Amino acid sequence: MTLFQLAWKNVVGSAFRSWVVYLCVLLVTGLLFSFALLIGGTRDSLRLVQQRLGADVVVVPEGTETEIESALLMGHPVTAWMPRENEIKIARVPGVRTVSPQLYLASLANAPCCTAEMLVMAFDPRTDFTIAPWLGQHLGHSLSAGEAVGGSDVFVPYGEEHLRIYGSEIDLVGSLERTGTGLDTALFLTFETAYEVAENSRTEAIRPLEIPPESISAALVRVEPGIDPRVAALQIMNEVPGVTAIPASGLFQGFRRQIGGLLQGMLALLGIASALSLAIVGLIFSMAVNERRREIGVVRALGATQGEVLRALFAEALILALGGGATGILLAATVLYLFRDLIVVSLAMPFLFPPLPSLIALVGGGLVAGCAGVGLAVLFPVVRASCLDPAVAMREQ
Amino acid sequence: MRVLAVLIMILAILIGVVPQFFNCQYDGKTLVLANGREVPMKCYWTARAALIIAVPLLAVGFMMAFTRRVQTVRVLGVLGAILGVMAILLPTLLIGVCQHTGASCSLVMKPALILAGILVIVVSLASVAVSGRRVEQAP
Repeated sequence: MTLFQLAWKNVVGSAFRSWVVYLCVLLVTGLLFSFALLIGGTRDSLRLVQQRLGADVVVVPEGTETEIESALLMGHPVTAWMPRENEIKIARVPGVRTVSPQLYLASLANAPCCTAEMLVMAFDPRTDFTIAPWLGQHLGHSLSAGEAVGGSDVFVPYGEEHLRIYGSEIDLVGSLERTGTGLDTALFLTFETAYEVAENSRTEAIRPLEIPPESISAALVRVEPGIDPRVAALQIMNEVPGVTAIPASGLFQGFRRQIGGLLQGMLALLGIASALSLAIVGLIFSMAVNERRREIGVVRALGATQGEVLRALFAEALILALGGGATGILLAATVLYLFRDLIVVSLAMPFLFPPLPSLIALVGGGLVAGCAGVGLAVLFPVVRASCLDPAVAMREQ
Repeated sequence: MRVLAVLIMILAILIGVVPQFFNCQYDGKTLVLANGREVPMKCYWTARAALIIAVPLLAVGFMMAFTRRVQTVRVLGVLGAILGVMAILLPTLLIGVCQHTGASCSLVMKPALILAGILVIVVSLASVAVSGRRVEQAP
């Protein structure tokens, strides 16, 4: 009989004990894996939004930072305006290389003139660096009037050929990659199309789309190489009144703080659950080893070395740790994958399920953490059992 | 075996109940036709069809809890697994749910049916495996 077979027989032989240890490990690794996946998914999602915006500094009307960040992250409609002349003023600030204005609009909810409620982001194709690189790569041309690209969750309703925004028909010519944020439900079109839609809305929509003349919602800024975006942001705020300039590194700070608090709470719960579960595992192993002192004594008397007993007991723990860990991770990954949209909506946090290589690394890490935790929990009882004197152990009742 | 049978019954109840409260019709949303008539969206029909899977699955779990014949357990296990597959196919291929990702049918009903379907398959196959082991252990 091999070491593994002996350990397996012990696992199957004491079913109740094995089930309790298995479920404890399942709980610990499942929680650890979910927590790591949530943190990683949120971080990836925020990074992707920043990459998609492609800006070193985002300039918004003073006092609207939270609303605009919320619009970018969660797709909540926002109305924020500042004079278009700010674009020229920002461009004159030393260190600023490119300025691209954007309009943030909202389509109507539950209205026959609009397909669905969504954030509509209009950009100036002459200066844009947010959508232009994607258009060049995937479409090979810029957007014409009446055309738009959407986030991954924007679709043309079944049985229709166009999207309807304020009564205007818009051709959806492409879909951007998923970011796990509100940008997935946003529609991107040019200034020209936005002004056309606003004009048509006076006669075609149940409510006209109002775009104040000579106004923009935000300006995305790229700075010259070697210029610190934080310094550029301070200079913009000094020279352009009525705006807030947010360097890319400072974007979504409020959200990061909010999510940090939530994650700390989750971490505390995770710590308590893990500590309790591992304590139960240690206790159960301790009880199991005590019950089997005579059996261990017999095995030792038959010639098994101290190391062999130690390895057999560790193999038993490892089988349960691997089984429980793999099940916990599989279950957590399935639940998080299936309910990823619900997580985004109910926790109001961006979340992107990680790509396969990162997922494999996380699974590996989760299994190692599960095995290490169980190994630590059973270390004391297992070592104590392996050190038993066979003669003393066999004499015990 | 009884534990597995109870699990199947719990999952059957979830498959039957959850879709009834997470569909667009329940949320007061309907499809308005060109003639002004309002018709239910397809997630409503998925919710109705889920009942057709839930009831026999509940019966499978109930019978599994009280039968002692290994052959019967095996047949019930296979039947349970097939019903689990159907629970997955309903919101994905057979009928589907609404395209809008923010709708409750997309957010809750579809993932819940898929998850419950996967668990029903796993539990049903586990019951087949356990019944097979009982046969091996029998004198």
